[in-house]
Parts: sequence; structure tokens; C-alpha cells
Amino acid sequence: MLGSAEFGDTTVIADLEAGIGTLTRLADASIDIAVVVVEATPKSIDVGARAAAVARERGIGRVVVVANRARGGDDLARLRAAFPDTELVAVPDDPAIVAAERDGLAPLDTAPDAPAVRALVGLARSLA
Amino acid sequence: MRVAFVGKGGAGKSAIAGTFARLLARAGGPVLAIDSDPMPGLAHSLGVEVTDAPIPDDAVTERREGEEGPRFRLREGLTPVEAVERYAVRGPDGVRFLQFGKLRGPAWALAGSQFAFREIVAGLPDDGWSLVGDLPGGTRQAFFGWGSYARTVLVVVEPTAKSLLSARRLARLALGERPPERVVALANKIRGPADVDLVARRSGLDVVGAVPWDEALAEAERQGLPPVDAAPDSAAVAAVVSLLERLNEEQTR
Repeated sequence: MLGSAEFGDTTVIADLEAGIGTLTRLADASIDIAVVVVEATPKSIDVGARAAAVARERGIGRVVVVANRARGGDDLARLRAAFPDTELVAVPDDPAIVAAERDGLAPLDTAPDAPAVRALVGLARSLA
Repeated sequence: MRVAFVGKGGAGKSAIAGTFARLLARAGGPVLAIDSDPMPGLAHSLGVEVTDAPIPDDAVTERREGEEGPRFRLREGLTPVEAVERYAVRGPDGVRFLQFGKLRGPAWALAGSQFAFREIVAGLPDDGWSLVGDLPGGTRQAFFGWGSYARTVLVVVEPTAKSLLSARRLARLALGERPPERVVALANKIRGPADVDLVARRSGLDVVGAVPWDEALAEAERQGLPPVDAAPDSAAVAAVVSLLERLNEEQTR
């Protein structure tokens, strides 16, 4: 669908399955930006690095790494080292997100001023 | 013992499966940790240094044109038990670690290894290895029989709406044509009794254990170390010990 439908001016945000399977099967030029969400664990960094590499091989021009549940400078330093020369946006570890997830509610509605939500608002603005 | 851990992505399957496999191996008997996730994860939780260990091409033969059967088979004369001896990576506490490799591009690159993997796992004799499986997040592999070696399927469930929804879907594994002996829930990242109650009420499954939210386990994950080594005295590892004891006890009953 991403590769064949005509979306016009509509912004399409696709939440792909974990891993890189869907990314490898996307039709050429079907997305403009690949947002790779990683945590500061070796498992997540390894998967994120594979996803970023596939996105670049597929010719997706802009890869943005979101450092999710970042707890401070150490986490960000680790992620910057793992993704050099890549745009990186930090989303802090935030109990408001945990609470919203537990309740099955949208964090943007339940905690619009929480630090993690503000970081995501900033990400959305930077991509728009 | 033959178990498989399934659940939504991020629920904690690999950390728990790796810990469970190590503890089971310490109790004696050969343990095979089975990793069918095309992305890395379980190796870190087990303490195996190799993340990508596909079964090599020379372990399989490809079906010839006009021939019946699967596209790839283990090469003639190579039994599943021999294949484990050859290709399962040796880990700490004597655990062996079998996987079909990890993706870096299109899935077809691992096709031969995937066929071999499934043939090996399906062909292991009942009285040999204890099997501890870690499936990728979601429902797809589980419903396509990738965990069919397991007698007990453990659905790892966080007390969140999304994780509970996945658990309810996975509960239907018990209704399949060749279901496992049982499908049960393991509550994870629990912050209080209400969370366990929520998992019990909303997953539709019997809850056989509850692993608390544990900073020590989270830190082990951040360091890429097996919880059983980095946080042996943590509450989360203690909960996996209890789970193992419970399953052992139920098995001998």
C-alpha cells in the first residue's frame, strides 16, 4: 500500500512490525523518512543498526534515530557512538508513558506536558 | 521439559527465556535454547558471545526440480541430534544455543538455514534435550507452528492493554489442530498485586508466575549481560527460579 497508493498531501505514518522484515519488502521510494526507534541496550542497538543499514541500502534518504527511554548522558553517548552521522532525537524514560500504556490510553491525551510527550512533539515538528 | 516463550514484542521473552535456560542447565541435563527470532536478543540474555550463527549451507540439500517435499532438507546422513552437536553454539552452564541466523537483508538469504532449523527441532527425540524456545514478538510464528516442539507455551504478558490484547490472541493457540499440552501466562514487569490480577482477568490464561519490575534486570539488559550472571540475587531472577521449580514440580506430579 505504501508503494502503490496515491496519498497526495496526506502525511502517512506507518508503524512497522519489529525487526527489519517489512523494511526489506517495501517498494522503492515508498517512504521519505525512516524513524528507527532504539533503546540503549545492546540488543536494541544491534537491531536498530541493521534497520538503519537496510534503510540506507534501500536509498531512503533520511534516517532519524529515536533514543527511546533514554535515562541520561551515558545512554545518549552510547547511542551517538552506535549511530554516528545520524540525526538522533532523545525521548526520556517517563512514568507518564508507562502509566498511559498500562491504561491503554494515548500519552498525548493523558500527559501532554510530560517530558517524553514534549520530546515527541519536537520530533513531529522537526519531521513535518 | 519443553517450553516456548511467546508474547508481544518488548514483553521480556528473551531475558526470561535466557535466564530460564541457564537455570535449567544448572539443574543438570542437556538444555537446548531455541531462538527463532530473525533479530538478535536471546544470545545476550544467555551469555553467548556469537549473535549470528546460521546453520551453514552445506548442512542442507535443495530439492531438485520435479522432486516432492520441502525445498531444503538436512543433507543425507545428518540427523537432528548430530546437527545440534555440530551447529548449536556452546554457552555458559553447558547450554547449547540453536538459531537459523539473523537477518541483515531479505529473508530469502536464510531460507536453507530456516528449513534446517525446523527439521532439527522437529526431529529431536523426546527423551534427550530439554528445549527452551524464544519466539519473536507477536502471533505470526506461534500460529505457524514454530513453537510446536513445546508442551508448555508460556505467554509473557506485561500489565498493559497492548500486551494483554496479544496474550488473548495467543491464548487461542490452545484451540489449534495440534495444540500444546497447555498455554499459560507469565506476568512480567509487575509492580504490585493488582497487576497480576489484571493479567489473570484479562489474558484469559492461568498465571503460573509473576516476575516483578526490577531495576537490576533492566540494568543487566542495558549492559548486555545475562541477568543470571549480572543480577543473580535480583527479585526477577528469583521469580524465574520459582517458575522453574513450579514447572518441574508439575511435570513430576
